[in-house]
Amino acid sequence: MAMITKKKIGTVATWIMTFLLMIVICLPGLWVVLTGFRPNREILAKPAIWIPENLSLDNFAKIFGFGAEQIAIPVPAYFTNSLVIALTSTFIALLIGMSGGYAFARYRFKHKNGYFLGLMLSRTVPGIALSLPIFMVWSKLGLIDTKLGMIIIYVALNIPFTIWLIDGFFRQIPKEMSEAAQVDGCTRWQAFWQIEFPLAKSGVASAGIFAFLTSWNEYALASQLTRSTDSKTLPVGLMDFTAQFTIDWAGMSAMAVIIIVPALILTFLVQKHLIAGLTFGGVKG
Amino acid sequence: MSSDHIQPRRKRSRDWTPALLLSPAFLVLIFVVLVPLLFSLYTSFTNYRLIRPETLYDWIGIRNYQRIFSDKHFWSAFGRTIVFLTIALNLEFILGLGIALLINRITWGQRTLRTIMMFPMMFSPILVGYQFKFIFNDNIGILNNALQDLGLSDGAIAWLVDKPLGMFTIIFAEVWMSTSVFAILLLAGLFAMPRDPLEAAKVDGCNPWQVFRHITLPFLMPFAFIAMTIRSLDVARAYDIVDVMTGGGPAGRTELLWTMIARVGYDNSRMGQANAMAYVSIMLSIAFTYYFFTKLIAARKYMGGAE
Amino acid sequence: MKFTTMKALTTGVALSLLATGGAVAQDYGSFEGYTLRVKLIGGAQYEPLYAEIARWEEMTGATVDVLSRKNHFELDREIKQDIAAGTLNWCVGSNHTSFAPQYGSIYIDLNGVIAEDVLAGFQTLALENSTVAGRLVQLPRHSDISNLFYQKSLYEDQDNMDAFEAEYGYALTPPETWDQFRDQAMFFANAPTFYGTQYVGKDEAITGRFYELLVANGGALFDEDWNPTFNSEAGVQSVQWFKDLYDANAVPAGVLNYLWDDTGLGFASGTVALNLDWAGWASFFNDPENSQVAGNIGLVRAPTGSAGLRSGWSGSHTFSITSTCDNVDAAASFVSFLTSHENQMVEARKGLLPTRGSVWDAVIAEFEAEGNEFMVEVFETYALSMAEDAFTPPLIPEWIEVSNEIWPRLQGAILGEMTIQEALDEAADATRIIMEDAGYN
Repeated sequence: MAMITKKKIGTVATWIMTFLLMIVICLPGLWVVLTGFRPNREILAKPAIWIPENLSLDNFAKIFGFGAEQIAIPVPAYFTNSLVIALTSTFIALLIGMSGGYAFARYRFKHKNGYFLGLMLSRTVPGIALSLPIFMVWSKLGLIDTKLGMIIIYVALNIPFTIWLIDGFFRQIPKEMSEAAQVDGCTRWQAFWQIEFPLAKSGVASAGIFAFLTSWNEYALASQLTRSTDSKTLPVGLMDFTAQFTIDWAGMSAMAVIIIVPALILTFLVQKHLIAGLTFGGVKG
Repeated sequence: MSSDHIQPRRKRSRDWTPALLLSPAFLVLIFVVLVPLLFSLYTSFTNYRLIRPETLYDWIGIRNYQRIFSDKHFWSAFGRTIVFLTIALNLEFILGLGIALLINRITWGQRTLRTIMMFPMMFSPILVGYQFKFIFNDNIGILNNALQDLGLSDGAIAWLVDKPLGMFTIIFAEVWMSTSVFAILLLAGLFAMPRDPLEAAKVDGCNPWQVFRHITLPFLMPFAFIAMTIRSLDVARAYDIVDVMTGGGPAGRTELLWTMIARVGYDNSRMGQANAMAYVSIMLSIAFTYYFFTKLIAARKYMGGAE
Repeated sequence: MKFTTMKALTTGVALSLLATGGAVAQDYGSFEGYTLRVKLIGGAQYEPLYAEIARWEEMTGATVDVLSRKNHFELDREIKQDIAAGTLNWCVGSNHTSFAPQYGSIYIDLNGVIAEDVLAGFQTLALENSTVAGRLVQLPRHSDISNLFYQKSLYEDQDNMDAFEAEYGYALTPPETWDQFRDQAMFFANAPTFYGTQYVGKDEAITGRFYELLVANGGALFDEDWNPTFNSEAGVQSVQWFKDLYDANAVPAGVLNYLWDDTGLGFASGTVALNLDWAGWASFFNDPENSQVAGNIGLVRAPTGSAGLRSGWSGSHTFSITSTCDNVDAAASFVSFLTSHENQMVEARKGLLPTRGSVWDAVIAEFEAEGNEFMVEVFETYALSMAEDAFTPPLIPEWIEVSNEIWPRLQGAILGEMTIQEALDEAADATRIIMEDAGYN
C-alpha cells in the first residue's frame, strides 16, 4: 500500500516536473503571446513591468480595424490566403506523396536509391537562392501574387518529406494483404484504397501536419512572390508592423497569436496519429 | 519480404507503373526546383546585375567563382555556417533526446504535453527572429531586464553584438525553434521500441545507464539520423531568423552564407555573384544531407530493415 | 478658412468637396473608369496620406489599385525583381532619393510631365536632390534630416552645470560641435540605466551618419574622379567619435544592432540624454501617452564638425512614374495630388518635413495658433537645417553597394577588431573595385 502511494507520488512529481520544464521551454513564445495582450507603453517600459497591468484585446481590435487608430491591416484576407494556400498545398502534396511513396515501397526499379536521394536533395536548395529564378519563371506564367503560384511552390517543398514518411509506412504494411485482396478479384487500385490506405492513415496524417506547418509558416519565398491581399500570407503580413523607423511590437505579437492558434489546434487534433505515423514511417521499412 | 512471385508477367516487359506514380512528384520538382536552379547556374557564370537586365547575357566564365573563392569574408561566412550547423544540430539532438526520454515516462496527459512540446514548431521563422531580437535587446529586452532586476548582472549585456554571444543568440533561436522536431521523432522511436530486450537486460542486472547506452540509444540512432537529415534539408530556414536578429552583423560576426547571398544578390544587385555563392551553399547542404543519409542507411541495415 | 488660388473649379465633384470644406487648389483632370496601379511604401507614418487617396478617386473618377505596400527595403527588392523580370506593369511607385539612382531609366523625367507652375511650388533644393543625371525622376513627398533632441532638465540642473564645467572647462549648454556632443554624452552616461546618446549602428543608417560627420570634418567620400577618399584623416577622426562613445559605455552596448526604431524608442523611454534624430518622432516624443520625456525636450541644430560645417545628411521620400505607364497624365495627376499643399499639410501635422515652402509657413502658423510651442520650435529648427545644411549622399547607382562595403568595416573599427585606418583603407579598396567595375575610372 505504502509502496503504491510512493510510486504514485513519484509519478505525479515527474509529471509536474516535466510540465514545468515544457513551460520553461515555451517561455519565450509565451512571452510573445502575452505581449499580444499588452499596450506598447507597458511592453517597452524601463524598468520592466513584470506583472501585466493592462491586459486587453485592444491590439486585436486595432489590427482588425476596430480601434481609434486606422492601422487597418487586412488580417482576414491574409488569414484566408494562408488557410487556402496551406490546406490546398498540403492536400496535393499528400496525394503526390502517396503516389510516390507507394511506388518506392511496392516496386523495384533501377537506381531506386538514387531517385530517392535526388528527391530529398531537391529540398536542400535555400529559398533565397530559388526566389529570383522562380520569380522570373512565375512572372512569365502570370503566377506572381497568386495563391496558385504559392500552392505549387509549397507542394514542391513538401513532396520530399511526405514521400519519405509515406514510403516507410507502406513498407510496414505486409504486401500479402493487398495481394490477397487482388487474388479475391479486387483491382490493385481498389486494394490500395480499401486495404492499404486505411492502414497508412496515421502516416499520412503525420506527413500532413508537417507539410501544413511548413506551408503555414514559410516566409522567405512568400515574401518575394506575394504582393497584395490577393495572396499575402500571415507571416508576410507580420512585416506590415515594421516600417523604416518603427516597429509596433504589440500589434506584431497580436498577429503572432493569430498565426499560432490555428496551427496549435490542428496539431493537438492530429496528435494521436502523429506519433503513430512517425513511429512506423521513416525508419523500419 | 519474398513475395514477388505474383507479378512474373510484369517483370518481363518493362513495368511503367512506378514511373507513372512518381511522375507527378518529379514533374513538380523539375518545374519548381530544377529549372530555376539551371537558370541560376547559368547566371553564376555571367555578370548579371538585377537592375540591368541586359547583363544577363554578359558571360564572364568562372570569374564570379574566382572572386568569391579569393574573398576572405566569404570563407569566414562559410566556416561560420558550418560551425552554426554543427553546433545547432548536435544541441537539438541532445536536448530533443532528453525531452523525449522524459515525456516517454509519462502516461497521463501525454497528448497535452506533446502538444506543448511542439509549441515552438508553430512559430514562423520570421516570428522567431523578431521574438528573440526583442528578448535579447540590450536596453529594453526582457532578458537583460530580468537579469538586472534579479541582481544577477549590473551591466547591460549586448547579446546581439558581443563576439561569442552574437553567435550564441542566433544558435539559441535556431535550437529553440527546431528542437521539437528532434524530440517528436525520437519520441516516436521510443514508442516503437520492443519491450523484450529491455526486460531481458533488467533481469540480467544491467543498471539504467547500461540499458540506455547499449539498447535504447542504438535503437534510437536511425530516428536521430532521420531528424538530422530532415533538419539539414531545410536549415536555410535559419536565414529568416538571422536576418531579423542581427542581419549578419556587427562587423560580420554572425554572417552566414545565406545572409551574405541575400545582401549581394538583392541589395547590391549582383545576382550572378550571389548565385555562385548560392551554389557553394547548396553543395554544403548536400554534403550534410548525404552524410546523414548514408548514416541512416547504415543504421537501418544494422536494425535489419529491408533493402 | 482661406481658399488659395482656385482655378478651373468647375466640376460637380469639386463643388461638392467645396461644400464639405476641402480646399481644392488644382484641377486633377478626369480619368473616368481608369485604374491606376501603384506601389507604395507602407508603415505607420506613411498611412495618413493614403487615407486621402479616396479624394483623388472621387475627383477624377479613377480607381487606385495599391499593388503592394511594404517597408522600404522590401519594396526595393520587389522593384528590382520587376526590373529583372520585365514586370513593370504599374504606374506610380514610392521612391527615395538615396535609392532612385539605382533604378536607371525605369522612371521618367517629370520635367514637362508635371506642370511648371506645380513644380515651382517645391523647394529648389528638394527638386535638385530628386534629379539624377539631369532628369527629375521623382517628386519629393517629404524630407528628412536630423537635429539634436535633448532632455532639458539635465541642462537646467545646477549640480550638472557645476560638475560639467569643473571637468570639461566650459559651460554646460546644448552642444554646438560634435566634440561637445561627445563630451556631454560621456558626462551624462551612467550605464546600464542611463546613456549619453545612441546612434544607428548598422546598414545604410550608420554609413549615412559617418558620411555627414565626414563632411562636417572637412572630408569627402570621393574626389572628383570618383576615387574613394574617405580613408583620410577626417575619416579617421569621424569614426573615432563613434568608437570613443562606444568604448566609454556612453551609448547602449547593443547600439551596433540598432536602427531608427531603437533610437527613437530609446529616447522616448527617458534613458538617453541626447538624441540626433529626424523630426518624424517629435510629436511622439512630446506625447505623455508614449514618452517619458514629454514636456522636457529641447532641440538644437545638428552640431558642426572640425571644418566648421554642420552635418546635414538628408534625403526625401518621393513618388516616381514608370516609363511603362499606360496613362502618364493620370499618374502625373495622382503624384501632384499626393504632394499638393493640402496633403503635405496632412503629413506635416504629424512632424514630417514638407518639400513645399508654403507648407512650412502654414504648418508653423497652425501650430502657433494652437499654442503648440514645441512643434513650432521643431519646424523652425528643421526649416533652418533644411535650408542651410542639407546634402544628400552621392546620387549614383552604386551608393547602396558602396554603403554595404563601408558599414561592416565601421562596425569592425568601433568594436576594435581592426584599427580605424585599416578599416577605412579596406573599405576604400572594396569601394574602388565597385567603382572600377561600374566604369567610373
